[in-house]
Parts: sequence; structure tokens; C-alpha cells
Amino acid sequence: MKVPPSLPLLSANKVDAGYGHVRVLEKVSIDVRQGRIVVLVGRNGAGKSTLLRALSGLNRPTSGTITFDRRDITGARPNAIVGAGLLHVAEGRRLFRRQSVTDNIELGRYGLRLTEQEHDRRVNRIHELFPILQEKRDLPAGSLSGGQQQMLAIAQAMMREPKLLMLDEPSLGLAPVLVDQVLAAILSLRAQGVAILLVEQMVERALEIADDAYVMQNGRVIAGGLAADIAAGDALQAAFMGEHGTPDHSGPRWSVS
Amino acid sequence: MDFDVITHGIVAGSLYALVAVSFNILFRPTNVFNFAQGELVMLGAMIFASLTSLAGLPWLVAFAATLVAVGIIGLIEERIAVAPILARSQTGTGWVITTLATSLIISNLVGRFWGPDPILVKPPAPLSMDALEIGSARISSYEIALVLITLILVAVVERAYRTLRGKAVMAVAEDREAALLRGIDPGSLGRWSFFLGAAFAAMTGVLAAPILYASTSLGPDLLLKGFAAAAVGSIGNNRGALVAGYVIGVTEAIGASLLSPGYQEAVIFVVVLAILLLKPEGLFGSPNARTV
Repeated sequence: MKVPPSLPLLSANKVDAGYGHVRVLEKVSIDVRQGRIVVLVGRNGAGKSTLLRALSGLNRPTSGTITFDRRDITGARPNAIVGAGLLHVAEGRRLFRRQSVTDNIELGRYGLRLTEQEHDRRVNRIHELFPILQEKRDLPAGSLSGGQQQMLAIAQAMMREPKLLMLDEPSLGLAPVLVDQVLAAILSLRAQGVAILLVEQMVERALEIADDAYVMQNGRVIAGGLAADIAAGDALQAAFMGEHGTPDHSGPRWSVS
Repeated sequence: MDFDVITHGIVAGSLYALVAVSFNILFRPTNVFNFAQGELVMLGAMIFASLTSLAGLPWLVAFAATLVAVGIIGLIEERIAVAPILARSQTGTGWVITTLATSLIISNLVGRFWGPDPILVKPPAPLSMDALEIGSARISSYEIALVLITLILVAVVERAYRTLRGKAVMAVAEDREAALLRGIDPGSLGRWSFFLGAAFAAMTGVLAAPILYASTSLGPDLLLKGFAAAAVGSIGNNRGALVAGYVIGVTEAIGASLLSPGYQEAVIFVVVLAILLLKPEGLFGSPNARTV
């Protein structure tokens, strides 16, 4: 069943999370709507990756709620969250480096029961988008270049046809031409109706392709809105130039209309 | 030194290889080395001996019942002795103590069920333990079958790792968190691996019984030599375990014939230590297999 357009696909509500006793996120609230690209920007250590980890169930939120596709997934186990259609491509890709490209793609559908036609359709779609993966199908994933690894990580997620794909620093360490390819792949996924939650250091490039954006600082969301407005606004400056964005900036929850 | 030494070494080495494979099955998705594995082999031999020699069940029925029973014991061990420790910390090493404790508990409890006398277990017909003269070697039809079955079992286990579920196990072994993000449940794979690893250990016990006799003191010896085979063959590598099993079995046999049987364990461990000093990752592992 599709989430009606008025309801966000993913909604984090006042989420606190961290590592052990260290609290990183404080009352973080964000929404991701169907078929939109949402970018999270902020300096290193602002809590962007921790937020993705909390959303995918790797770090259990200590308070707050997360709903995805109308279901409460707060504190759910990672494999249940993956099963619900929320996929997380972690920072550094985290591929199975010793297994072949094909095996990595196949592991993307682990636990799914696909008909042979459906399976082949998905594999073909991946090969259309990333022909290089077909060429290198028998090589170990660890032998691929950074850009190819990023493509493989996205391909792995595509096997599951997620509703929402979270990408953590997909451009990290990539040559500019590969960054273009990865961003193009993200746009093509959106064209197929997949929502994207993107954490990206290349802020300008990310804001160019994004629909919505949130700015994070010190574990809080200090601004949110249309990507174009965020690109022009002060919060971005504050977050990157080191001015103290006061927590009050987060104010009432901002939502995309 | 006659050729017999080599054949005996290969036969004993096959058993060590099987114990090593059972270690590996369990180790891959959990990173846990089950020190109770030797006792699980012993339980396999003893339960099977009781069901056939004493209760008179047909070979196949007893075989299946033994595997399931010991598999369940392995599963119980995982639930009680291993899962709680891994839940606290994935990199915790408390399982060294808890699996060793499981081993001690099993070896102490079996004395209540079985006496100290070894039980003779006959191989299934038409195989027998009667020695055949083949050239200068004396080997029984059962021993030949055991060597062949070991080869087949290693091939079957390796084949299982090429299925999607097997690849998921390898994925968990490489990066547990990354596996979680692909919808793989390492907990469930860990439980299955304990069940299957324990059942495999029991099968090793059943296969060993006609040669070694079923006895409650079977465990520690097979634990040590199986561990040695797993380490020399590189932990997690089943083909390596097979070759290492042969190396250890033959070394042991040669040591016993050249020196005296009393020194055979000393000879094994000198060789094992020498190999591991030169190649700490074992004969078949790459030194940097665990890159982060």
C-alpha cells in the first residue's frame, strides 16, 4: 500500500540516539516524503551518520519515535527494517570485499523470494544503470575502484527495490567524473519513485539535486526546508562557518509542504 | 618405516579433518571457537553406540537420531553459553570460558550414563574392520570408506557455502554489521551453525567409533588434534583443514613408529607449533585476510 502524499514515508520524531552512554542526537526530527531526495548537511561530527544508523536500527534510539511506511520501526531490528523497504548504504560502502561482484549483488536480495523473471529484470536494470558491474562481475568486490564500489553498494540495495534508500557519503574519495555518475544514479532512482536520504560532504552538489534539505549541528537539526531555500539561507553558513547556531533555531518542527 | 604408517596417518587425519570442519562450520558466522566440540564428537559416538549395540536400532535410524540429538545439544549450548555473551559484546571473548565450561559439564555428566569401558561399534555392512592387504599396506574396507566419505563431506560442506545462505554466512564472517544492513540475520545463522556444527561433530563421532571405539574419554584428544588441524589449515578453510588433518595424522603415525607411541602427541605439537610460527595464519590463509 502506498503512503498517501500527505503523510511522510519516513518520519523521525524527537529521536535521541548515540553510542553506549554517549548521546549524539538530541531530539532530531526529520521527514522524508515519497519520491524525494532529501539531503542532510552539516560538519563532521554533527550526527548525520548517527541519525542514519538510528534509522536503520544499528543504533537503538533512547527516546523518540521513528515511523516508516505507516509502521512504527522504533527499536526494530535491522533486518526487519530492511524488510520494510528502508535500506542504508553505510559510510565506506561496507561491501563483502572477498566475495565477487555478482555474489554481492545476489546478497542484496537475501531473504526475498523472487521469481526468475523478476530476479533477471532487477539484475538487468542494475547492469543498464552500471554496465561496469557486468564487466567486472566475477572479480572480488575489494578489487573495484572506490566509484565502482559505490555503484555496487547501490546496486546491492536496488536488488531489494527499496522504498527509501539512505546513502552515507557516496562521493567520499571519488573522482569528479564518478561523483557525477553516482549523482546521476540517485536521480534515476528518484525517477523510479524511490525516496533518497543523502548524507553528503559535497554540499553544493547535493543541494543542487536535492528536493529538501536539513542542516545538522552538534546533534541537532537547526534548519530544514526546500533545498533551494536552505542553499540560500543562513543556517548553512552557521553550520559550516562555526557561528553558534542556537538550539532555538530548530524551533517547531519544520515540514515540507 | 612401512607404508602402513602413511595409510594409518591418512585414516586418523581424516577424522581430525572432520573435527576441524565441524569447528569451522560453527566458527564462520559467530567467530566463536567451541571448546566443547570434542565432547560433542564423544556424545555422537556414545549415543550412536548405545542406540545400535545396546538398543539394537538399525544403523540409519540410529545415525539420524544421533545427529539430531547432538545438534539440539549444540543449539542449547548456543542459547545458554554463547548467545548471551555475544549479545553483550560482539568482540567479547567470554565464550572461551563458557564453551570450556560446557565441555567440562558434558564430560562430567556422561559418567552418570555410561561406564568407563569403551563400546565396540561395528561398521555398517558390507563394510568391515578386517584388514585387507593392498600392496604393502594393510587397511580395512571401512577405513577406505572413511577416507572417501571425508573427501565427499568436505566437498559437500564447501558446496553449501556457495549457496546464497552460505554466502550470507561468509558475509557475516567478514562484516557482521554490513550483513545486518543487507537484511541478513546473523543470530539466526549463528543458531543454525551451532546446530549443524554440532550435528557434524556427532557424525564425526559416529564415523570414528568403529576405529577408535566409543568411549567417554574420546573428547579431549579429538578436540586437541581437530583444533590443531583447523589452525594449521587456516581457521575457516575446510580444504585447508583436510590437508592439515592428513599432515597431522601422518606426522603422528611417523612419530609413533620412529620414536615411541608415548611421544606421538609431542611430535604433533612440535610440528604444529613450527608451522604456526612460520605461518601464523595457517598454511592456507592470506596474512591480511582481515582488513578493516
